[in-house]
Amino acid sequence: MVGNKAAATACKLARVQVASAFPITPQTTITQYLSEMHANAEWDFDFVNVEGELSSQVVVQGASRIGARTFTCTSGPGLLYMHHPMQTTGSGRLPVVMAVVHRSYKGMQPDHSDLMSQEWTGWGHWYVEHAQEVLDSILMAYKVAEDPRIRIPIAVGYDGYVLSYTAEPVEIPDQALVDEWLPPNKPIPEVLPDKVNKATFGRGFGGEADPQVPWKVHHDAILKIEEVHQEVMDSFEKTFGRRYGNAMIEPYMMDDVDVAIIAMGTIAGTCKAAVEKMQKEGKKVGLIKLRSYIPFPVKDFQEWSKKLDAIAVVDRSICPGKGGPVYQRLRETLYDMKKRPLTLQFHAGLGGKEVRVRDFELIGDKTLKAVKSKKVEEPVTWV
Amino acid sequence: MSERITRAQIPMEEMGITPGSACQGCGAALAARLAFKALGPNVIRHGVPCCPDTVTKTPQIGTVFEGGGALLTGTSRGLKAIGREDVLAVGFFGDGGTYDIGFQGLSAAAERNENILVITKDNEAYMNTGNQRSGATPKYATTSTNPVGPKSRGKEQPKKNIPFIFAAHYVPYVATASVAFPEDLIAKVNYAKTITGFRIIIIQSPCPVGWRFEPEKTIEIARAGVQAGIWPLFEIQNGHDFKLNYKPKELKPVTEYLKPQARFRHMTEAEIAEVQEDTTSKWQSLIQSDEMGKVLI
Ligand SMILES: Cc1ncc(C[n+]2csc(CCOP(=O)(O)OP(=O)(O)O)c2C)c(N)n1
Repeated sequence: MVGNKAAATACKLARVQVASAFPITPQTTITQYLSEMHANAEWDFDFVNVEGELSSQVVVQGASRIGARTFTCTSGPGLLYMHHPMQTTGSGRLPVVMAVVHRSYKGMQPDHSDLMSQEWTGWGHWYVEHAQEVLDSILMAYKVAEDPRIRIPIAVGYDGYVLSYTAEPVEIPDQALVDEWLPPNKPIPEVLPDKVNKATFGRGFGGEADPQVPWKVHHDAILKIEEVHQEVMDSFEKTFGRRYGNAMIEPYMMDDVDVAIIAMGTIAGTCKAAVEKMQKEGKKVGLIKLRSYIPFPVKDFQEWSKKLDAIAVVDRSICPGKGGPVYQRLRETLYDMKKRPLTLQFHAGLGGKEVRVRDFELIGDKTLKAVKSKKVEEPVTWV
Repeated sequence: MSERITRAQIPMEEMGITPGSACQGCGAALAARLAFKALGPNVIRHGVPCCPDTVTKTPQIGTVFEGGGALLTGTSRGLKAIGREDVLAVGFFGDGGTYDIGFQGLSAAAERNENILVITKDNEAYMNTGNQRSGATPKYATTSTNPVGPKSRGKEQPKKNIPFIFAAHYVPYVATASVAFPEDLIAKVNYAKTITGFRIIIIQSPCPVGWRFEPEKTIEIARAGVQAGIWPLFEIQNGHDFKLNYKPKELKPVTEYLKPQARFRHMTEAEIAEVQEDTTSKWQSLIQSDEMGKVLI
């Protein structure tokens, strides 16, 4: 099953009630799968074929406000186009789930610049590695987003082409089990005119006693995702027998290593092969796959930093003039630690550039060299 | 088509809660008051940025300025999903939210024939941000972005014919209304409530601040606009059936509408004559359509 089919299948399993999307490569086939599933009445849902991504985001916002379970999906330019209403979905605390099939700002090929650029919109941002993880993560995203402690939209990002259009074996969970594990979303009764109420949703006129309060509440709710996401990962494993690390990160061959490489998305899979090879050769290098960029696994990295001599951060996006977001976020996370590992920044896979096993070996070697000399000669490397 | 009502049939119960943030003599506040009276309690009101901030007894949902059509779509589909199709999703938007920045989403919602009702209060400019031109601003009107000067006679282009543009989407119901004709306005909302699919009612809503007239003249000016044929009252069903709701034997001269508004004060006799000629010729075709009972789109 290709990644995009896994995403559409997750919608079916989650019994999404209203989906809306606009085609863009490499997300396009999700819109086609959903249209087919709708035409074939595979389950009872509404699919709104809109005239642009801005509208798809606003359609799911409206339907989610009424209490329907909603789904949308897009890529690169489409995501940028829906930036404005993404912010209102976030501020509205609406549990929308969106698949972001990564496509670079520059060109059609995948990198993480699309979703990274949306970090201010007030969503949870997850990055996943393979088609099974796409399906499983979308299901988990609903359970986290709709949790009364959270009520925050979640974007599940996965790389275009290598994942969207590439077939891999995917185990489809049993519908009855999913139904039991993921009960229907609950509407907010205040939005219905059943009693006289002048409740206003989604319009900020200011005038609150303290206009910072909505920002703080929103921020705190997103931080809370960490705990709920971990609970959901545990219950997912109990029900379906699969898990992805502790939800926030997935350490791979991290026993007794001096160096960790941080990578996200499909290239984390490539890194796994590189780590296996390097460890066979006696190099003490492991992988920490980063799954949740927002909220960021602060505690996890602080703990790991105590055991590591160096961390190599592979950023598949760059804020021009500012740098790699994961590298910068990691460094601020480690600032307060008494003992800080060395950190190295690697720019890789931008604009869809292929990242090979031997690239990760180079990253590992360079980082080991820094450990040996106790010094980072060259902090930034373009792989 | 709507059925005539008498003044006594206008519902007594107010759905609007005053005061909102409206200025004195605000036509749009009056449009909201009348429309929501007719709509009654079983609606969810949708807003996008615009003025004034009328508060209704019904819940209100808002979104980005450009998102009105998609938000109504989402609500209406959501209501269907939770089995509450009895509740009507109503938009109350400005001309900017309808003619301009909101047009794409509304046009798409019209084309999909979403089950929604859009009410546009047309004050012919972006009043909330201080009277900048919109696609609804008529020719020669001055706005804060169409000042008069050696290179400018006010707005250069005619007002977009938005009712006909929506009618050309072949939607179930398009109507124009005016705050000076409350029975007609309410009759149209009443009718819109009885049908399903995409419905839009565009209400002429004079703005004393932007159009520059004394606040007590709102109704007078609105009425003069209708009586001069500048704001004809009509209904179009399915992009085909047409009815003109107000047909005086003779139109009043456009000067009765233009003269009291300082936004037109700079107009020359020749410019006024041009508006008169244009209005008369458009009126002729409306009369013809009314006689045939249909529009040719
Ligand atoms: C995307 C966006 N652009 C611009 C604005 C600023 N803005 C708020 S209301 C408004 C004008 C509203 O005009 P209209 O829809 O005609 O309604 P009115 O205020 O005249 O009732 C503008 C330009 C905004 N809120 N959002």
